[in-house]
Amino acid sequence: MNKMDAKEAYDCGRCGLCLLTCPVYQNKIEESFSPRAKVQLSKYYAENNLPGSPHLKDIMSQCLMCGTCTANCPSGVGHEPLFMRMRASMAEDFGEKWIMKVLYHFLTHDEQLKLAAKFAKFGRNVVLEKLLKDFRVGTIPVKQMPNMNAQPFRDQMPEINEPQGSCKGIVLYFAGCATNYAYEDVGKAVVQVLTRMGYRVEIPGDQVCCGLPMFIHGAMEKARNNILKNISILNREDVEAVIVDCATCGSALRNEYSHVLRELGLDTQDAQSLALKVQDVSEFLYDRIELLVPLLKSDNNIEKVTYHNPCHLRNAQGVKNKVEALLTRIPGVDFVPAIDADSCCGGGGTFFYDHPEVSKKIVDKKIFNAKKTGASLWATGCPGCQVNLSGNLEETDQIRVIHPMQIVSKALAD
Amino acid sequence: MNNNIKAELKKIVTPDRFRDDPETLASYSYDGFNVRATPEIVLFPVTTDEISQTMKIANHEKIPVTVRGAGTNLSGGSVPHQKGIVLCLTKMNKILEIKTRDRYAIVQPGVVNGDLQQALAKDNFFFPPDPSSFTVSTIGGNIAENAGGPRCLKYGVTVDYVMGLEVVLASGKIIRLGSRNVKDVTGYRPSGIFCGSEGTLGIITEATVRVAPIPETKQTAMITFADLDHSAQTVADVIGSGILPAAAELMDNAVINVVEDAMQLGLPRDAEGIILVDVDGVEEAVEKELNKIVEIARANHATDIQIARTKEESDALWTARRAVYGIQNRLSPDIIVEDATVPVSRIPEMIRGCKKIAARHDIKFCIVGHAGDGNLHPTISTDIRNKEEMKRVEAACIEIFKLAHELGGCLTGEHGVGLAKAPYLSLVMSPDTMEFLSTIKASLDPNNILNPGKFA
Repeated sequence: MNKMDAKEAYDCGRCGLCLLTCPVYQNKIEESFSPRAKVQLSKYYAENNLPGSPHLKDIMSQCLMCGTCTANCPSGVGHEPLFMRMRASMAEDFGEKWIMKVLYHFLTHDEQLKLAAKFAKFGRNVVLEKLLKDFRVGTIPVKQMPNMNAQPFRDQMPEINEPQGSCKGIVLYFAGCATNYAYEDVGKAVVQVLTRMGYRVEIPGDQVCCGLPMFIHGAMEKARNNILKNISILNREDVEAVIVDCATCGSALRNEYSHVLRELGLDTQDAQSLALKVQDVSEFLYDRIELLVPLLKSDNNIEKVTYHNPCHLRNAQGVKNKVEALLTRIPGVDFVPAIDADSCCGGGGTFFYDHPEVSKKIVDKKIFNAKKTGASLWATGCPGCQVNLSGNLEETDQIRVIHPMQIVSKALAD
Repeated sequence: MNNNIKAELKKIVTPDRFRDDPETLASYSYDGFNVRATPEIVLFPVTTDEISQTMKIANHEKIPVTVRGAGTNLSGGSVPHQKGIVLCLTKMNKILEIKTRDRYAIVQPGVVNGDLQQALAKDNFFFPPDPSSFTVSTIGGNIAENAGGPRCLKYGVTVDYVMGLEVVLASGKIIRLGSRNVKDVTGYRPSGIFCGSEGTLGIITEATVRVAPIPETKQTAMITFADLDHSAQTVADVIGSGILPAAAELMDNAVINVVEDAMQLGLPRDAEGIILVDVDGVEEAVEKELNKIVEIARANHATDIQIARTKEESDALWTARRAVYGIQNRLSPDIIVEDATVPVSRIPEMIRGCKKIAARHDIKFCIVGHAGDGNLHPTISTDIRNKEEMKRVEAACIEIFKLAHELGGCLTGEHGVGLAKAPYLSLVMSPDTMEFLSTIKASLDPNNILNPGKFA
């Protein structure tokens, strides 16, 4: 007998409209993999009408947690908390893969994570390149994995970065693990653009992993300390915004912290007040476009740019059309939308590793449609999507995945 | 089902498309209706031959077979009520031919209605039947349920678009009826027998459907009333005046508010009724008809008339309308959507009568529907675990059916009989009429293995 609560499942009227929006169902065309079935199976499990099993665990893992079903659900079913609880219960009953245990360990121990990143840098940049260059991680050839930063980004930067000119306000910058350990150029672009716009950018040194890779797989208890620590550091009244450059970290800070704390029976007040301050960096810029435009050079080289809208930005944070609108305001950017810019890339955190066959089909379709636009740059503000999209491009493809902030920083006048 | 039979069936569809694990079985135990039944196996055939071979075994062993597409129907038609085999046809999803010059398309049963629409739109054509589930529901399911939707007011329902069918019978025999021709009286009309048969007479494995050119222009109007009776009268008067809108939908105050809560479209929350009208055709005619509709609405005390300025505005209103079923689920643990239908001139009486019935039985009730063709959805919010309330709900439903019948209407306009209406057929059909249905069923499916427990 399990005591899992499946209260969200009772909101589902089984209308089935989610079948259209689910990238996994669209590939499998089997009900068991649809959001509707996952909701019903969770209900049957919670009611002790369906026993847990490794197969049920596998079905629950065949979800990108992209939230597209939730965003389009007429009945307002809260899929995410239900699925997280279900995953937690499955992990409790049938164990967690060793690789997830290792991941959780590092993500909860910042000092060890730093050390691991050093080894990983050696591993990635030397060992993998030389010895394992033909191997794949999930769908992605090792040689197309991102290079690691020589030094963690946050170690390279001062904690306080003063604005150019008069100070318009203070922002805190939550530079997540991806920027910290792999995408330092993104972090530098963020600081450069914001300081030029007149913001004092503080990068709190003791921030830790947002915790999403843990709680999304059901490891909510493990993520607790990370969540509480980040809230205590970032929930400051004197700042204009808490800036995030990663859609996934943003969805954690803005959306999920309250959900997870509620699940753990903890107070959510601080999480809620932090959520009000959190903004994706592209959204923050678009809302202050009048500060940005005068700083841009008019003779920027013209490039065709298309966009992939990350699920964690579109569905979880409700940011729609703003990044596209920002890009169109950058001189030199010839913005060409892809017809499926709003659909999931199939990366889904570790989904590309766990279910490479489905993931590959989803990402190949995205790549096909992005290439059809003729763009040379493919902007997306999510490192997870970036790894997945660029990792699945062919070497001959004439399109490069890039963070929107790198496009903006390149357009800054001297 | 013994293991030898399972092994044989597995051989037919290959192990890849054979499932008997508890999780898959549970996933095929429901549809949009509120009754569940778990099958013993689920098969995903991809050819007519696989279905034929499966039926030969099922018929010989007298195993119930329930055919299913996306499982969106609201009458329990795809619930495997007597267990046995679920034949899920979603993987037979190829569009075999589109020939707009001859105005037909040939599809496999698992093709999603919305996918066919997209493919046809490239040639500026469309497939008129538009159930609210069209983005996910399959053509096979649409035909089996004789599905309808908002624009069926002008264009007719699925049966009006079926020209030819390939069907596997209970015996496993494969028959082909009809052709690519609009006019074809060679034998019984296949659509007449199989369309709306809810999987009880045969399994549709291929369909030739009629398609139509997309009208030159379309306008959407939203008309607001301070009295629900006025909105109903407006619809009746518009149809009575000789205008044929593409669609005319009605929502009452409760529905307006729940939609607005969910989607924030700026609907008038204090309105007692709104009607959503689509007019399509050549531009000049559309303009003229729209003006006439506005005139009729004003005469019926409309408080506000808005014309959607852009396609996006119109799409947003229709997306909201299509989502009403799902949105209503926010009101209570369960909802029961009836689809009793009356001649359009009787709509005002029907709505007044339904409201009285709901008040008398003290049940939570709202009304939405394809008012233009008299197809209303009196919707009851309830909790099926509350036995006392369910008794009142059932009593109210029976009175609604009887009222519809008295007004010259029918039990179900588009959702089908399935499990939902089977107990009530005798309210509206004579014993001889019911025997006629049974005779057809028995002659085609003597062992009663095709979707047993449903209407026939």
